[in-house]
Amino acid sequence: MLITGIKSKPVYAPLAADVGGRYHVLVGHGVGAEQLLRLVDELRASGGSSRASRRMLYATDLSAAPNAMATVREADVAHVRVFENIPALLEDFRTLLETSRMGTRLYVAGPEAFMGLVMRIANEFNLNRDEIRAEECGSRARRVHCIHCRAATESVTTNIVECSGCRRWLVVRDHYSRRLAAYMGVMVDAEMPGERPAVKDVFV
Amino acid sequence: MSHANTILVRVSAIEPLTPLIKRFALSPAAGGFLPAFSGGSHIIVVMRGATRVHRNPYSLLSPPNLLDSYQIGVRRMEVSRGGSMFMHDHVRIGSELEITHPVNLFNLDKLARKHILIAGGIGITPFMAQMEDLRAGSVPYELHYSVRGPEHSAFRDRLLERHGARIRIYHDSANDFIDVEGLLGNQPLGTHVYVCGPAGMIEKVVGTARIAGWSGSHIHWEQFSAPPVGDAFDVFLAKSGVSVRVPPDQSLLEAIEAAGVDAPYLCRGGVCGECRTKVLEVDGVLVHNDHFLSSEEKESGRAIMPCVSRAQCTKLVLDL
Ligand code: FES
Repeated sequence: MLITGIKSKPVYAPLAADVGGRYHVLVGHGVGAEQLLRLVDELRASGGSSRASRRMLYATDLSAAPNAMATVREADVAHVRVFENIPALLEDFRTLLETSRMGTRLYVAGPEAFMGLVMRIANEFNLNRDEIRAEECGSRARRVHCIHCRAATESVTTNIVECSGCRRWLVVRDHYSRRLAAYMGVMVDAEMPGERPAVKDVFV
Repeated sequence: MSHANTILVRVSAIEPLTPLIKRFALSPAAGGFLPAFSGGSHIIVVMRGATRVHRNPYSLLSPPNLLDSYQIGVRRMEVSRGGSMFMHDHVRIGSELEITHPVNLFNLDKLARKHILIAGGIGITPFMAQMEDLRAGSVPYELHYSVRGPEHSAFRDRLLERHGARIRIYHDSANDFIDVEGLLGNQPLGTHVYVCGPAGMIEKVVGTARIAGWSGSHIHWEQFSAPPVGDAFDVFLAKSGVSVRVPPDQSLLEAIEAAGVDAPYLCRGGVCGECRTKVLEVDGVLVHNDHFLSSEEKESGRAIMPCVSRAQCTKLVLDL
């Protein structure tokens, strides 16, 4: 029932320093803290990036190591901000990009749903693939866009899910929209009302 | 692909713009309109001289919404293989020429949040049409135009009238040069830089952007290198079974065409990749003058761009 093998599913790679950049913006969520801190070390070691060139935004959650916030706050960067939730981080991220200059590289680490939201803002600023590096880590839960009522259902880990908006049961497809930062959800029992497969955890 | 169906045009106006540059207007000989194009496009003009055929690329500088004629700017080259001299000395109002359909290898980025255009001398031509597109939009843009001296600033009045304060003209004669570091060192995210002009200027702009941390997707340049002259050499075209002599002042592509063999091309300036040809055998060295092949490909000696590259060899066999 799951439609897989669709090309729009984003591909991510382990974060690595891009020494061609002059400024480095690091953004992470949850367990992504570890990746960001490793990257700060790598940037320092590369010699091509000063403390002043590095900025970091981090949103914590329960998946993060208990001391993640404290370690992030101590990171060797010019500016670090830690948030309790993703919307607050995104707002700050947007403000940061408004004043950022050409020569900036963006690094994102966190669950895919988080990365999608960050990327969507990065796209508005015309940051291209050769300026962004992203590493997926933590929950594989998906943000699902209902193609019927357009509501977003957050943190979906199951093959099918009840839409937060219209209460239809949706099958979660691999078709990803960068504009919506979400996977498409399509009504599961369109042909046979009431008939739907068992709910299984698949995106964990 | 492009040379199979050329368009017959008639020169409908000629105007000297600077001591070295003339503007030509080309109208369809059959009447009506020419194909639509976007700013940054070029055409190849086919000039049939008494002894040889020249095919030179020229950027279209007329506004993209005016299709009853195309305008090109031709700079008279001091060291010329003949094309620009032919245009300056032999082409008159009413002369007929063939042109190819426009091709755009120098597109404006549609998602850019700001455009910085840098032109040197005759390199202004692609920007003339592009700026008409930009003028109609809402994305900020600016042109930095460097010329030898006041008498060399072709289009000055037109530019100032159409684009006002977005234009800055620099005169070498007044020691006024573009501060590329200053310009590229502090631009907002989503800025794109475009450069067209002499090789030194392109290198300077691309190099400076790289040092300032700009990624490749934001740096655009166009340079049609005229095919350099070199030693004469012989080439054997394996598929056609003909042997061709390439004289010093003719390009490999021109010599192939003169021998009646059809070879692909789009830009004739070593940038588009269309003419890429497999080298089957070479006894000597290939002289690569293109901006298309990677350095590994150039070293491998297995491919050549006949529009600008040559060989110093005793034997060369191409897959044509
Ligand atoms: S024709 Fe474009 S590279 Fe040769």
